[in-house]
Amino acid sequence: MTPGSQQVHRSCGLPPLPVRFALDWHWWLALWLSWSSSTLWATDRATAGREFHNKVQPLLNKYCSDCHLDGEKKGGVAFDELGSDRQTTDNYALWLAVLKNVRTGLMPPPKKAQPTLEEKAVLEQWIKYQAFDLDPRNPPAGKVTVRRLNRAEYRNTIRDLMGIDFKADEEFPPDDTGFGFDTIGDVLTVSPLLLEKYIVAAKAIVAQAVPLVDRQMAEKVIAGNTFRATDTNIVKEGKNFGRKDGLLSLSYYQAAEGTNSFNLEHSGSYRLGVEMAVRGTFDYDPGRCNVVIQLDGQELLRKEFAWYDYKLLHFDLERSLQAGDHSLSIAVEPLVPVAKKLNSLDIHLLSLKVRGPTEPTYWVRPPAYARFFGAAIPEGRFARRKYARTLLADLTRRAYRRPADERTVDRLAAFAESDYRKPGVSFESGMAHAMVAILSSPRFLFRMEQNEPTSSVVGGNVQVDEYALASRLSYFLWSTMPDETLFQLAGRHELRPNLNAQVKRMLEDKRADAMIRNFTGQWLQVRDVEGTSIDARVVLARDSGSEKQMRQEREAFLARLAQQNTTTNKPQASGTGGTNSSTPPRPRFTKPRIELDLELRQALQKETEMFVGSVFREDRSVTELLDSDYTFLNEKLGTLYGMTNVTGAEMRRVSLPAGSPRGGVLTEGSVLVVTSNPDRTSPVKRGLFVLDNILGMPPPPPPPNIPALEAAEKGASDHEPLLREMLALHRDKPLCASCHNRMDPIGLAFENFNAMGLWRDKERNQAIDATGKLASGETFASIHELKRILIVRHRPEFYRCLTEKLMTYALGRGLEYYDVETVDQIVNRLEKNNGRFSELLQGVIESAPFQKVQPLPASSTALSRERVDNQRPAKSPTL
Amino acid sequence: MKNPIVTPAQAARERHASLSRRHFLRGLGTCLALPALESLHPLRALAGAASKVPVRMAFVYIPNGTIPSAWWPEGADGRDFALPRTLEPLAGLRQHLQLISGLDDVSANPGVDGAGDHARAGGTFLTGVRIRKTSGSDVHAGVSIDQVVAQQIGHLTRFPSLELTCDAVRKAGNCDSGYSCAYEYNLSWRSATQPLPPEPNPRLVFERLFGAGSRTERTRNLKLRQEEQHSILDFVLDDVKDMQRQVNGKDRQKLDQYLSSVREIEQRIEKTERMSVANPSMESPTGIPGSYEEHIALMFDMMVLAFQTDSTRIATLLMAGEGSNRTFPELGISEGHHNLTHHFNNSDMIAKVKEIDRWYVLQLSRFLEKMDRTKDSDGNSLLQNSMIVYGSGNADGNRHTHVNLPILLAGGAGGAFRGGRYIKSKSAPVTNLFLTMADRMGARGVEKHGDSTGHLSLS
Repeated sequence: MTPGSQQVHRSCGLPPLPVRFALDWHWWLALWLSWSSSTLWATDRATAGREFHNKVQPLLNKYCSDCHLDGEKKGGVAFDELGSDRQTTDNYALWLAVLKNVRTGLMPPPKKAQPTLEEKAVLEQWIKYQAFDLDPRNPPAGKVTVRRLNRAEYRNTIRDLMGIDFKADEEFPPDDTGFGFDTIGDVLTVSPLLLEKYIVAAKAIVAQAVPLVDRQMAEKVIAGNTFRATDTNIVKEGKNFGRKDGLLSLSYYQAAEGTNSFNLEHSGSYRLGVEMAVRGTFDYDPGRCNVVIQLDGQELLRKEFAWYDYKLLHFDLERSLQAGDHSLSIAVEPLVPVAKKLNSLDIHLLSLKVRGPTEPTYWVRPPAYARFFGAAIPEGRFARRKYARTLLADLTRRAYRRPADERTVDRLAAFAESDYRKPGVSFESGMAHAMVAILSSPRFLFRMEQNEPTSSVVGGNVQVDEYALASRLSYFLWSTMPDETLFQLAGRHELRPNLNAQVKRMLEDKRADAMIRNFTGQWLQVRDVEGTSIDARVVLARDSGSEKQMRQEREAFLARLAQQNTTTNKPQASGTGGTNSSTPPRPRFTKPRIELDLELRQALQKETEMFVGSVFREDRSVTELLDSDYTFLNEKLGTLYGMTNVTGAEMRRVSLPAGSPRGGVLTEGSVLVVTSNPDRTSPVKRGLFVLDNILGMPPPPPPPNIPALEAAEKGASDHEPLLREMLALHRDKPLCASCHNRMDPIGLAFENFNAMGLWRDKERNQAIDATGKLASGETFASIHELKRILIVRHRPEFYRCLTEKLMTYALGRGLEYYDVETVDQIVNRLEKNNGRFSELLQGVIESAPFQKVQPLPASSTALSRERVDNQRPAKSPTL
Repeated sequence: MKNPIVTPAQAARERHASLSRRHFLRGLGTCLALPALESLHPLRALAGAASKVPVRMAFVYIPNGTIPSAWWPEGADGRDFALPRTLEPLAGLRQHLQLISGLDDVSANPGVDGAGDHARAGGTFLTGVRIRKTSGSDVHAGVSIDQVVAQQIGHLTRFPSLELTCDAVRKAGNCDSGYSCAYEYNLSWRSATQPLPPEPNPRLVFERLFGAGSRTERTRNLKLRQEEQHSILDFVLDDVKDMQRQVNGKDRQKLDQYLSSVREIEQRIEKTERMSVANPSMESPTGIPGSYEEHIALMFDMMVLAFQTDSTRIATLLMAGEGSNRTFPELGISEGHHNLTHHFNNSDMIAKVKEIDRWYVLQLSRFLEKMDRTKDSDGNSLLQNSMIVYGSGNADGNRHTHVNLPILLAGGAGGAFRGGRYIKSKSAPVTNLFLTMADRMGARGVEKHGDSTGHLSLS
């Protein structure tokens, strides 16, 4: 759970100015390569200083003097107090702020005289090419800290490497995020706890994935969710006959039957394993039922079940079965009428496993055997050692994402051998032991990169080698390791020549869902939809103006709760704590009309993912992200959006009717929900969301001691005020106005959508006014018009913002001032090509920071850091 | 929003431990009823010369500060103060409490860094230093007091320290005003650049302490697990040394983190070989419970267990990340905690925050009661031999103040502290209190921690 207004009052703005003491790479390198280049650079700085006086200062005098010259120092900026020429040109933070403010039209303020396009260009050119000293043909690559796999990447990598699904998000602590993403090398730390978890996980993964014998009983797993309802008229699917996550869920309170079938190749003796679970609520429920499982019409199992909050059950049976088709059924016979139901109680059929024939002659190769051991294991110590080496070399190539050196493979082979040479230990077990070491190694957990040996240093950059590039691509687009195609290309040095075709292939691949989910989930914060607290009752009560009634209900509820606590709540004292049927149920509210239950929240998240995915994969204009004539819905989400022509649980593409307020991510329920407070909308959060994530021009953080919006309610005593009125009172304070004039009008344009994303015409029973005027001057009458303004008038800002977000995600580092040129070049590509996503994607992938790296300095580098710092400011403002 | 349906994979994992918290508690009840067995205290033998029972130390962090008027008693300090409303749930524990006013965390003040009081309160509370304002690169705080002590006495127990949290969900996007989320979610810092992420899953805490599986196979599993780990650690140690030669700068820092983690686990394994491992008479918890209240209770249970078995003497528990905007349906409160704390004197909002403050204290009281019921090996209660700090780096959440923090110190520190007192201290850094505690823990030569100006006298 995270702070609400904290989210509002977060970050950015005029770029924050963290003091960073990292060496600036290209200056550093220049020094390292040749001392004389520093003198060269110093000359450049002198030119930059001269140019400042000749070209830039006149512009500042002309347009900025009212606030930033001659004793005026608004926002702490005075252009005539910059110090020496050198101090002036080296003030990167200042010039980055100037660049951003002028580009986004914030400065000079709209009321003041505006510089011409040519004048702006002069300023931009000077900042980029003189002050920042950037080479447009070879912008700096920067330095990304070695990246540890985050939880999503770990899980996917294990899936592709070992063939099993390991739930890293349940087993590992959450990863820290930086710059809004969990791919940032600097914040992906390792602790003893995490390392221990890695080792435990490696062990568990290998135990599950790697077969230790070469033959075993054949096994058929019949998943619970493959059962079909016998009579679909009686049993409404999805309600009492739920198939989900591989299992079948049946209510104790409704008779139901499901059937299934399987085929056996051989007659013989079979072992049947039934996995079931009772799933109840924490509170007692009186339900009981019989569960009957039949095989070929014969009763296999009959059991009576009662309440349990959660209990897993396993039944083993042996049967002699003939080859051919067999039928299975499972039925629930309720024993308690539904009228007595207090909570909910379900029986889950997870799976039915048919193992056999038990006779060894019918045994088969374990399914995963070939993945790890190939064909036959040779006899003899040396042959085995050689074979182990071959297997381990191939496994490490994939696990470490580059061929491992001889020494590493030798060590692993010896490690395996030390195990399998022990008496009673199989070759397979020894190899499994080595695999645990592989998965625990820093070479697996970190993405180590190397320079391309054939690449020479140009402008301080050197290309990463093709294995590193393959990993950069695969972790960017798939959140997982490279596949065999990428490995092969990298091995032959053919990845760079085939880059575009590979990127196209990778984007079309199913695995690219990971990029769409992980990038969208964090950029638009839709990951948070599941966890955002929204109280539907309160939200709906506010819309309909029945808050008073709502409050009275709440007080009555609390009174009941308090009463119950004093009479019954002596927790844990007795040690048994058992709830039984004599305990009165906990007081509950009645259910609201529409609730953001898990199913709806998942649909909301899915909508955004599928929508963004369609724009990316169909190579549409990224401006469609802001407005579109289609979206993705299922029945439940359709109901929330007032579109009743969609039926069923499956999400599918739906054309929006003309005039629909939906279309584009901003009016998708997901974004509307994560930008709301639990009890009401937050126009401030929504406005900030747009400024921060769409326009890339967030306001500075708020001053301390800011009052909450609700405080303004006191200002309107005659009635319960609308948010619009409250915000207006809030903006009366000059301190608040400068930023809230930018946020509030945008946020208020979304007031027709309540905190659940539901359309409403009224708030507190009064009509909603969604008109407004942006700080940059444009007026709009509705959300439709606001979207048009964003696309038509603020397209470059959106392009730039999206580029910066995608680059941060892809590179695994925050953008620095020197990335301005790289971003500009991609934005130009987008402008020239109608915003097509492929231009953005290729732009990022072809960029210097993605393709290159600052070379590793020789370890003998003698230059002291102080000496370097004397030459160039150590401050490196973040973009 | 917990998925009510369990997937087969999940189910399989839970097979060994499919018992509800109710059963777990039943087990815990039995465990706590037993007098602490000598066998649970291998350290007495180990410590040898130290004849006294060890003192334990814990820090329990609540987000967003408290409503001062309901936290501080009216009137004079001393022994005759009336418990204010927020602290009422502690009435039965009064003789174990020292309520100390006047303690500050000025490192959390805005200074030149501007907004971000929540991140700062969280990141400075135990470190006492200003934290670097950065949203991603160059995260920089300081060593936290629990780690300062752990670095000195951690070798005496199997685990130098335990880091726990009841906040399992991380938000996407940025955290507070340009600060990395690392500051909000990590109380404990091993070095200025290496936070120690806390564990939210009580099952995993339990398994780490005592081994996985049923009661009979637990100790064996733990041994087995450690033996395997040992050979793996030996192997990867070579890997990481190889790699270190190839990198520099921040990359090296990452590998150093890996390397020091390897060393710490090795030390623990080595200690386990010397010290016998307790085997509590209960089943392992099943995972993170759906209810917040139960989650907190389980994490506190883990702390009691770890202290009782002397698996560690130092623990931190983050109730929720600083700035938490959790709602409290159990109290009928549908607004977020953080939003409510910016109440601007709206009485309805203040009332709700007070309810939340009190609810957190209620959870604490259950923990302290359990500590009080649990006997230590010297016959005293575990609480008597502990120092539990409960508090926040925010004082008044409404105004983001960091002076006169709500700080409650529970436990007798093995007889050194006298409880039942309300102490009005002169304005002093809260780190002064931590210095005094470090002393009591037996850490030597810790003369300064963060912004401390000396020891806080509590005798």
